[in-house]
Amino acid sequence: MDLRDLREASDAALVVAIGRWRQEALAEAYRRHAGAVFALSRRLLRDAALAEEVVQEVFLRLWHAPDRFDPERGSLRSYLLAQTHGRTVDLLRSETSRRQREERDARATAEAGYDLEHEVLDLSVAEHVRHAVAQLTSDERRAIELAYFGGHTYREVAALLDQPEGTVKSRIRAGLRRMRTTLADVGIAGAPWPLR
Amino acid sequence: MATPLNHAAIEELLGAYALDAVDDDERDAVERHLAECPRCRAEVTEHREVAALLANAGLPAPDGLWDRLAGVLDAPPPQLALAPVTPPRRRRRAVVGWAAAAVAAAVVAVLGVTAITQGRRLDHALQALRQNGLLRAALAASTSTGARHAELASPDGRVLASAVLLRDGTGFLVRDDLTPLPADRTYQLWGIIGGDKISLGLLGRHPGVVAFRAAGDVAGFAVTAERAGGAVAPTGTPVIAGAVRSA
Repeated sequence: MDLRDLREASDAALVVAIGRWRQEALAEAYRRHAGAVFALSRRLLRDAALAEEVVQEVFLRLWHAPDRFDPERGSLRSYLLAQTHGRTVDLLRSETSRRQREERDARATAEAGYDLEHEVLDLSVAEHVRHAVAQLTSDERRAIELAYFGGHTYREVAALLDQPEGTVKSRIRAGLRRMRTTLADVGIAGAPWPLR
Repeated sequence: MATPLNHAAIEELLGAYALDAVDDDERDAVERHLAECPRCRAEVTEHREVAALLANAGLPAPDGLWDRLAGVLDAPPPQLALAPVTPPRRRRRAVVGWAAAAVAAAVVAVLGVTAITQGRRLDHALQALRQNGLLRAALAASTSTGARHAELASPDGRVLASAVLLRDGTGFLVRDDLTPLPADRTYQLWGIIGGDKISLGLLGRHPGVVAFRAAGDVAGFAVTAERAGGAVAPTGTPVIAGAVRSA
């Protein structure tokens, strides 16, 4: 695979090449996804330097353990962002950042609310994602925002919103499912599994 | 969690789990379940796809970050990474021993190559990578004029950590092989100063490279395992201890 081929390779093919220690394949994966990884981490941490560390870590992890990505289980973008979110939340919840977190919480609750719409900048899907978000009830939307972009557990979200924990837990799941259905209708996501 | 969660309770958690919004016990319970339940795995994948779309901000990555990352990848050949697997025991020469510990950690930091199939090793490598800055500082300190060194050994004589102390009281502890503690415990570093045991700081449950500052003439160091939050005075015998050697 030469460089031009890499540019056109699927994400799954890139990961195979990464498994063969092809650094230029990692560079291409980085070119495609590092911006989103960085943006998500910085969004949660509100700290560009820490977010850069997360970016390094996520791609280093991909370099050393590409087999952890299973193309059968979603896109590389979604895998990397899930890794990013998990690592970022670990940092947020670590002892050292507790104080900043408390300050951040105070700010978060004082703000009128996160605006999911401003997070979606990829224009090809932005409109559809915006539409899917609009299908959520305001309670669902708030719960998902605080959990995902606030880095809060659903229990913390329940406390912040003064709502029962079980209700918040259900709303997060129901909201994600509804967005999935909406996005599947326009072909952006596959159809969700039926509820059993 | 006192009682295991049933399937329905696990399902209810899947949305929150996919957003990393569950507590540790719940996460463990969900992951045990996911290992055996393809449908729940599929649901989590779906939730994460949706979340990824929400996060889909197309900003460019910061300038220079790729170069730094590539610099980490352009590391020496893999066999060097074997060093930290079998750290030399009973090091006799403090300076060399300390440097070896730091270099071993640096190699893990830069490479982590043997970690390909070993998650725990990888985690160590990543932790070390995060500490690259500290490590560089520690390495610089170890070779600076007037630096004094100590090797901290366990009661059975194994050297598990090394410390370097600069004239201005700045010090670095490089943990070599301390066993991680449970979540409610922490390692705590003590300086033996004027015959007293003075706390130099909490090291966390799984310390890597730690910087500290000591006032006064430090004769030795000790590390104890304490309750999270630390102790005003050591509550048990040291896990590791060692005397500071002359410059």
